[in-house]
Amino acid sequence: MQFSRNWLGRYVEVPEVDDLAEKLTAAGLAVEGIERSGDDVVLEIDVTTNRPDCMNHLGLAREVAVLFDRPLRAPEPQLAESDESTGDIVEIELGTPHCPEYVARVVRGIEVGPSPAWLRELLEAIGQRSINNVVDITNFVLWESGQPIHAFDLDKIAGSKIEVRYAREGERLTTLDGEERELDPAILTIADAERVVALAGIMGGLDSEVTETTRDVLIESAHFDRTAVRLGARRLGLHTDASHRFERGADHSGCRPAADRVAELLVELAGGNVTRGALENPHPEYFGDFEGTVDLERLNAFAGVDYPADGVEHYYRALGFEPRSAGDGKLRLTVPSWRYYDFWQRRDDGEVWEADLFEEAMRMFGFDMIPADLPAIGSPDLGSSREHGKRERIRELLASCGYAEAINFAFGERAADRLLPGLGSTGEPVAIANPLSEQYTVMRRSLLPNLLESARFNLRRGAPVVRLFEIGRLFPGGESEEIEAVGLIAGGGSPTPWDRQHEVDLFELKGVLESLYETFDSTLEVRPAELRGLVAGTASEIVAGDRAAGYMGQVDDAELPYPLFVVELESAALTEADHPEPVRAPSRFPSITADLTLTHALEVAWADIRQAIAAAGVANLSSFGLRDRYSGEGVPAGAVNSTIYFLYNADDRSLTQEEVNECQASLIAELERRFGWRG
Amino acid sequence: MTSPLSELAELSGQFDTEAAEVSDAAAWDALRIRWLGRKQGIVRQRLAAFKQVPPEERRDYGQAVNALKGKVEGALEEIEARLAAAAAPAEAAALDVTLPGRKPMLGSIHPVSRVAAEVVDIFNGLGYSVAEGPEIEDDYYNFEALNFPPDHPARDTQDTFFLSDGRLLRTHTSPVQIRTMKARRPPIRILCLGKTFRHDNDLRHSPMFHQVEGLAVAEGITFGHLKGTLDAFLKRLFGPETAVRLRPSYFPFTEPSAEVDITCTFCGGDGCQVCSQTGWMEILGAGMVDPRVLAECGIDPGRYSGFAFGMGLDRVAMNRYGIPNIRILFDNDERLLRQVKR
Ligand SMILES: [Zn+2]
Repeated sequence: MQFSRNWLGRYVEVPEVDDLAEKLTAAGLAVEGIERSGDDVVLEIDVTTNRPDCMNHLGLAREVAVLFDRPLRAPEPQLAESDESTGDIVEIELGTPHCPEYVARVVRGIEVGPSPAWLRELLEAIGQRSINNVVDITNFVLWESGQPIHAFDLDKIAGSKIEVRYAREGERLTTLDGEERELDPAILTIADAERVVALAGIMGGLDSEVTETTRDVLIESAHFDRTAVRLGARRLGLHTDASHRFERGADHSGCRPAADRVAELLVELAGGNVTRGALENPHPEYFGDFEGTVDLERLNAFAGVDYPADGVEHYYRALGFEPRSAGDGKLRLTVPSWRYYDFWQRRDDGEVWEADLFEEAMRMFGFDMIPADLPAIGSPDLGSSREHGKRERIRELLASCGYAEAINFAFGERAADRLLPGLGSTGEPVAIANPLSEQYTVMRRSLLPNLLESARFNLRRGAPVVRLFEIGRLFPGGESEEIEAVGLIAGGGSPTPWDRQHEVDLFELKGVLESLYETFDSTLEVRPAELRGLVAGTASEIVAGDRAAGYMGQVDDAELPYPLFVVELESAALTEADHPEPVRAPSRFPSITADLTLTHALEVAWADIRQAIAAAGVANLSSFGLRDRYSGEGVPAGAVNSTIYFLYNADDRSLTQEEVNECQASLIAELERRFGWRG
Repeated sequence: MTSPLSELAELSGQFDTEAAEVSDAAAWDALRIRWLGRKQGIVRQRLAAFKQVPPEERRDYGQAVNALKGKVEGALEEIEARLAAAAAPAEAAALDVTLPGRKPMLGSIHPVSRVAAEVVDIFNGLGYSVAEGPEIEDDYYNFEALNFPPDHPARDTQDTFFLSDGRLLRTHTSPVQIRTMKARRPPIRILCLGKTFRHDNDLRHSPMFHQVEGLAVAEGITFGHLKGTLDAFLKRLFGPETAVRLRPSYFPFTEPSAEVDITCTFCGGDGCQVCSQTGWMEILGAGMVDPRVLAECGIDPGRYSGFAFGMGLDRVAMNRYGIPNIRILFDNDERLLRQVKR
C-alpha cells in the first residue's frame, strides 16, 4: 500500500525517511520500498490484514507520532451549516442490522470541476487518478481517514429516501465501472424509494453517480458489517478500496468525522452549502467497549525482558488504550475504536486476551531489545514419528543404489489416474473442486503417472539412462487414510562400454527392491500378475501377507525409445523391528564352494528351485544363489541352464571336500529329480 | 590302454595344476623346460609321438597336440608377465593409470529433502522430535483451530485448493501442530514438515511446496526463547555470520507474530538486487502461539506459553543450490538432480 510523505506531513512532523522506514518496519509496518517522486517520497508499506487502521495516512501518522514522540494533528472539520435541515431533505431507513451506522450529509449548490493541484498531486502520488473535485474529495477522505465515502447525486435519489437493505431476487444494478450486475438476496445494497442505487461498502451505481451537472450531493459515510461486505464482494467478484477496508474493519466511530470532513472540503473546493445536521443512526449496542488487563510481571515473563513500567504505560496511552492503574503493577486498558477489529476475538468472559495487548507494548519497544535465549526444557521430546526415520532410510538406500530422487505434484490428470494400477485405487479419485488446470484435477493414487512424465521429460532431453525414485503420499479417497508409497522408474543403459555398466532391466529394479527389503530385515516376495499398463508377462505383484502391497513391471508404451521399468510399493510393507537383528559372528574356518548347472524347462520358476534348496535342509550350506542363466547353443529348445553356486561353511571346523561332495550329490539328485530337463 | 587323445586331455589338466603352483622365476623356468624343453619337453615328446598314432586318429591328434602347445606357450607368457609385474611394479607401464575410473552410478537426494534433513538434524540437536499429519485436511484443522474464523480476510492470504468432498489440501503444516497439541500435553517440542498446497502457479509460486514448522509449548516459554531458537537454527543453516532480525507482523495463530529476516545470502548484507538493497532476506514467519489456539487445543494459556515458526523449504533449497525458479525444482531433470551432492 502506498503512502505519500507529504500527505503524512499534514498530520505529523515527518522524520527523515530512512529513520521513518526503519522504525515503522520495526513496529510491524514493513516499509518495502522508498520511491522519490518530485518533492514527495512514496513509501510502499505492507499493512497486515489486522491493521485496517493503518490503511490511511492519518492512521499511519498516529503510529509515527507515537514512535517518534511527536504530536498528532488530526483534522477538525469546521462547518458553517445552512438553515435547511438535512432531515427535511432525505430520510434514512436501515432495514438490516448489518449497517450499524449510516451518516448522511447534504451539500447543495456545488460546482463539479477539476481539483486543485495539491489534491491532484497527493492522489497521484499514491497512484490514484484525479477525476473531479467531488470524486477526488471522497477518495481523499478514504485515504486520509480510512473511512469509505460515497457521494450520490441527490437529484437521482428517487423519493428522497435511502434504505440499506439486502437486494431482492432479480434486481439489477449498473455499477460505476459500467458493468450491469445481477443481484441476489445475499448482497447488501443501498436503495432509494424505487431501486438499488449502490452496492453497500463496495461500489456505487452509475445512475446516481455525481456528474458535471450535479448540483446537490448526498454524502454517505457508513459502517457496514464486514462479513456482509466480504460475502457480497466475493459473490460479485469485486474488490475495491472500500470493500478492502470494510472487510478488514473500519473505525466504527469514524463515520461522522469523515462525513463532516467531506462536507468541509466540498464547500472549500466545490462551493456549495452544507445543510443543517447530519443524519445519524448509531447502534451503540453494536460496538461495546473492549477492555483488558495487562499485568507487567506477566508481560515481562512472556516477552523475556524487563520493560520499564512507565514506558509500558506511556506507549499504551499514546496508542489510545487509556491505561488506568489496577494495582499490583496491573493496567486496565480500553481498545480504541480504530483498533476494534484487531481485538474482536475476546475471551469467553468478554475480556481482551492479554497476548493481544502484550503485542502493542512489545512492538513499540521493538523486538530488538528482547535478548535471545534458549528454553531450558529438561528432556528431549520423545514423540518422534517413526515414519520420518523410515522414509529417510529408504531415501538414502535408493540414492545409494544410483537413483535420483524426484518430487512431483501430489495431483495430476484424471486420464492418467487409470494408466497404471496404483495402490488402493477403487472407485473414483479425489477430485479438486477448483483445479488450476486440466493437468491437475485429481489427487494421485499412484506415484507412477507423474514419475513417468518425469522420465519422459528426461528422455526428451536425450537421457541415455533414467533412474528416478519418489517417496510420497497417495490419496485413495473416502474414509481411507493416505498411503505413503515408494516409486521407482528406470530404463536405458550406459553408452560407454568402458564403464562396464549394464542395461537397466526389470531385475535391476527388483534387486534394488530386494536390497530395500533386506534393509528392513524382510524378504521380497512377488507373484506374476496381469496388470493394467504393464507389458504382459513382465508384471508381478509384491506380496505382503495375504494382500498385494505393490507391483512392478515394464511400462506398456511402444513409443518409448527404450523400455522403462517401474515399481510401486506401499512404505508400510517395509516393516522393521524396534531394534536391528544381532549380527552373526562369521566362522573362522575356510569355506568350500561348489557349482551346479541344472538344465530345466523354462517354465520352472526360480522361486521353486530356491524353495527346494532351502527346504532340503543341507547341512552346513551357508548360502546359495543364481550364478548365471544360459540358453542357446548346447541347451535344448524350451530349456535353460541355471548355474547355482553353493557356499559351505561350518562354525566349528574345516569341512572336507568329501563331506561337501556328499551333500552336493544328494542335492543334485533331488533337484534333477524334481526339475531336471526330460526333453 | 588309454588312447593318445585322452592322454593329451589328461596332460592339459596336469599342466593347469602345475602352472597354478608357479610363484617365482625359478619355478617358471622349471615349468618351461619340463613342458617346452627342446629335447625332453613333454610337448616336444608328444609331437614326436605323432608317428605312433594310428593314421585314422592323426588329424585329431595333430590338432589336439598343437592346441596343447599353444595353451602352454600362452600360459607361460602370461605367468612371466604376471611375475614381472609383481617383481618390478614401479617399472611396469602396463596400465595407463590416467584412464578414467569406473564410477559406480551414484544417486541423489532431492534438494528439498536435503534441506529438510538438515533442518531436522539441527532441531534434533535442540531436543525436537518430528511429527506428521495428513496432506488432505479439513477446515477445522487447517483454519478454524488456527484462529482463522470463517469468512475472515486472513483466509485471503491462503489461496486454498478445495476438494469436491468439502475437504481441502493443507495450506501449511500447522494442522500437525493442532493435532499434536490435542493429542499430547506440554512440554512439547516438535518439528512438522511436508508438502503444502496453495492455489497459485507462476514463476515464483508452485501450487505445491514444502514447509517446516516448529512448535515449543511449555511453562515459561518466552519471546526471547523464540529469538534464541531461531538465531541458533538460522546460524547453523546459513552460517555463523548470519544476522537474524525479527519484526512484528500478523498471523492469526500467533500473537505477537514476527517476520524473520536474515542477512541477504547474496550480498552478505551490503544490499543487492535480490534483497532490494535492504541487505535482508525474509526467511520465515514466527510468533508466540496465540492463546486462542492453545485454549482450542485444551492447553491452559494462563499456565503455558509457546512459540511456533514456519519456513518454506523450497526457497531455502533454491537459495542454497542457486536454482533460479521454483518450477525447475519439480521438473525432475536428472541432469540437475544429480548435481546435488550434499
Ligand atoms: Zn542482497
